[in-house]
Amino acid sequence: MLKASVPYLFLSPFFLLFGIFGIFPIVFSFVLMFQQWDPVQGMGAMQFVGLENIRFTLEDPWVWKSLGNTFWLAIASGLPQHLVAVPLAYLINEKLQGSRNALMGAYFLPYITSTVAIAMMFTTLFSTDYGLVNALLEALQQWPLPSWLIPQEHIDWLGTPETVKPVIALVVFWRYLGFNLILYVAALQSIPRELYEAARMDGAREWRIFWSITLPHLRPMMMFSMTLSVIGGLQLFEEPFILTGGKGGVEQAGMTTAMYMYRTAFEFNDFGLASAMSWLLFLMIAVATWLTNRAFGSQQESI
Amino acid sequence: MTGTDIGQRPIGPIGVLTLTMGAVMMLAPFYFMFVFATHTRSEIFSMPPPLWFGEAFLQNLDILRAKIPLWRNLGWSVYVGLMSTALTLLFCAMGGYAFAVYEFRFKRALFGIVMATMLIPSFLGMIPSFLIMDFLGWIDQPRALYIPGAAPAMGIFLMRQYILSAIPRELIEAARMDGCNEFRIFRSVVLPLLGPVFGTLGLITFISSWNNFIGPLVVMRSVEMYTFPLALRSVQSPVDTEWGALMAGSAIAVLPLLVLFVFSSRRLIAGLTAGAVRG
Amino acid sequence: MFRRIILTLLLVFSLGAQAEKKVLTVAAYPAVDAIVKAALPAWQQKHPDVDVKVVAREYADHHTAMTTALATSSNLPDVMAVEYGYLGRFAMSGGLEDLAKPPYLAHQYRDQFVAFAFAQGGTSAGTAGGTGGQSAIPTDIGPGTLFYRKDILDKAGLQESDLTSSWDAYIASGKKIKSTTGAYLLAHARDLKDILIRANVPAGEGVYFDAQGKCVVATSPRFKIAFEQAKAVRGAGLDAKIGAWSNEWGEAFKRGNVASQMMGAWLGGHLSNWLAPQTKGLWRSAPLPGGINAAWGGTFFAIPARAVNKELAWDLIRHLTLNKEQQLAAFRQHDAFPALKAAQSGPFFEQPIEFLGGQKARLLWRDTSLAIRPTAVFKHDPIAEEIVNAELDLVLTRDKPIADALKDAGAMIDRRARR
Repeated sequence: MLKASVPYLFLSPFFLLFGIFGIFPIVFSFVLMFQQWDPVQGMGAMQFVGLENIRFTLEDPWVWKSLGNTFWLAIASGLPQHLVAVPLAYLINEKLQGSRNALMGAYFLPYITSTVAIAMMFTTLFSTDYGLVNALLEALQQWPLPSWLIPQEHIDWLGTPETVKPVIALVVFWRYLGFNLILYVAALQSIPRELYEAARMDGAREWRIFWSITLPHLRPMMMFSMTLSVIGGLQLFEEPFILTGGKGGVEQAGMTTAMYMYRTAFEFNDFGLASAMSWLLFLMIAVATWLTNRAFGSQQESI
Repeated sequence: MTGTDIGQRPIGPIGVLTLTMGAVMMLAPFYFMFVFATHTRSEIFSMPPPLWFGEAFLQNLDILRAKIPLWRNLGWSVYVGLMSTALTLLFCAMGGYAFAVYEFRFKRALFGIVMATMLIPSFLGMIPSFLIMDFLGWIDQPRALYIPGAAPAMGIFLMRQYILSAIPRELIEAARMDGCNEFRIFRSVVLPLLGPVFGTLGLITFISSWNNFIGPLVVMRSVEMYTFPLALRSVQSPVDTEWGALMAGSAIAVLPLLVLFVFSSRRLIAGLTAGAVRG
Repeated sequence: MFRRIILTLLLVFSLGAQAEKKVLTVAAYPAVDAIVKAALPAWQQKHPDVDVKVVAREYADHHTAMTTALATSSNLPDVMAVEYGYLGRFAMSGGLEDLAKPPYLAHQYRDQFVAFAFAQGGTSAGTAGGTGGQSAIPTDIGPGTLFYRKDILDKAGLQESDLTSSWDAYIASGKKIKSTTGAYLLAHARDLKDILIRANVPAGEGVYFDAQGKCVVATSPRFKIAFEQAKAVRGAGLDAKIGAWSNEWGEAFKRGNVASQMMGAWLGGHLSNWLAPQTKGLWRSAPLPGGINAAWGGTFFAIPARAVNKELAWDLIRHLTLNKEQQLAAFRQHDAFPALKAAQSGPFFEQPIEFLGGQKARLLWRDTSLAIRPTAVFKHDPIAEEIVNAELDLVLTRDKPIADALKDAGAMIDRRARR
């Protein structure tokens, strides 16, 4: 009798908090999707408009543009993070125990650097006429490299639609690599050393060990951090915001859906529309998460 | 112990070079934040920006102190961060454990709900959250900052994954056969083995609580109750920001996080699953 | 004995309760918060029983918090600082107290303020669909001016009048400057567009919408001219493509890469303090070309309709805005150009400004401020501005034909404004 209720008891803090603090905002936001509301006019100003907001959202070219940007950025910034973090975690754990803490610390610093500092740094770095990146490229012009590889003029990194997205992806990659590194290193701790020792004594090569022992054990953690990257990537807001000065860049190249939502709510004062957009985004993220789960969830924990 | 297990070949020079360059790139903005904290606004706003430390740190601190009660704000940030972390670690361990170890009715549906809550963007919830806090009378109180988010879905998810991969079922079964009740098992057998993930989740939670300024923006009515990032933001003006002071504040804001990182990374690595490694 | 203690305690408590201070809450952003704090000692001498709490937030955060407070009618301050850009939205919301009504009767003070600023705070001729009320009182304004580098002009053999007589002259001068000195005329072509769409707006109309709320972007000649001139400037390579307030922008000023900048008069203070202090004496301030008078920003004070201490709030607002010494002090310390006409004279105004080569620029700014005309503000102004900027980008970088760009902009704005 008591036994059956145990899992529910363990879950009670979450559901209690969710019940009190989580449900109302969700319901509110859902209802808001069918209203037209300019918040400054107070609660009484909500007007029921049915599916108008949803229709408008689906027909708005900027919504689709921002979704395209968002997906591109999520993949371009997320994939490299994991492709680099996993082998790096392995290397740090296996080969570099001495400097492990220092290296992990160094890679983790971007995660705790304040956004103000990051904004300043990267806008300075990528500045068209005075930035370090363009200065380096200019120096490279002295080298005997094919001219199609090295641009002849200063690139307006943050002001050109084609280049602003890669820059944002780079900043996101830079910021969260260390975060994933920590997660993977933590997960690596749980792999029994005997497995490694046995494999090495059998003469297995490093790569084989990585592939056959490490990766399978990392699968649960990979699913977790990949899911996080997918969700975080699709909700990307802060980095594009600070790199485009809150405006989304030329031709909205740097405007993600979350950013467009924020602007719709607080700059254009249309909460109903912002709500509709947020639910559209929610659907997309839900689908993406489900796909990630299918790809990485192992049989043991089919949910 | 891990210290002696090196593997067959040490890492080559190219690898070292790549890793070092990577580390330098990670470090650079951080470094500049500290350098800028020691310069005046005019020195910072130039190209190239200053590369070495200046002499204006105390001056910047004075500017900052004149604008906000910074030590008090820092104190609030620390308090809210600690409370948030403590509650999160406990609640998420409980939740993750439930999903990892038990089979029960509605398990899939409940987990789906937990996951779903991760997907909702936060700022639309500002106004309804505000209404709740107002209703509860929690405006201008720190508990409005650490209680609502004390069981984040992300944490439950992380705990679940970790427990699935690091805690063998046999251990739990053995304890059950020994006659321990479920809560005893959780407390005495499982919790001690969660060292690395506690280090990780604790770190992440504290940082996220530390950097959160939307919560305090909505809930706090007086500068004395601000947490540090919000207080720092309030020094920013559309045209008139004291950049030096802002950088100095940012540098101060990051120090506790650094300390915490050093502290928890040792737990993380040293928290070996010695007990779990059985045949 | 015991009873006596209890009685004494009760007496002390009740006395304490009576002597409890009133708390007046003021919500503001930098530097308005500093201005308010500086004004408090004088005000509190007259109101010793009132505690004033100044809640400062970053500019955008402040307006977000105020939006939230207005939305929920809760956590409202007694005095709310509102910046020009947000005034339209807040004023039309119905959440601000109408200061034209008794006991405030703000219109009695109308003539004491610079005309356009006071009108801008109203909900009548100054804004669309009004009721003749007054939502906010102006405290400082940003009269627009053209800052230019005299040394660069000298090198190019030009006079100030070459820059300011007309827009065509401005651009022609720009070409001469570029060819002789290599410096850009202005920071971004968009700045030119921003000014030109605000030129000669008919009374009662807004920048993007006419008096009936219909979008004029595709039809009004202002936009066509603005886009054409911006394109001409970009085509002749006269703009540095630098956004304002970036590091590059500051650096361009330091190095003398940009010859002119149109902005509120307060830019002079920034240039002198930290943006480009080394360029002291090289700058001058001129009226905007083509005889245009425009304002950049400005701060207003309002009282939320659901505030608690409205009379006290009104008293403080009057102290901040109608008091000549107060306005001048704010001007001196924080470059907040007074909206109060009485404060716009005196030795401080006659003082030559060293940074501008000894020019008595404050007199120029005062004349500009008196000549500015109010424009109506509309709820959809922010999204209209965004759409127009987006189309301008396409014209400048993708060579989109101007007629198409304006047509598309008009169509998109109509779509949004329907709502």
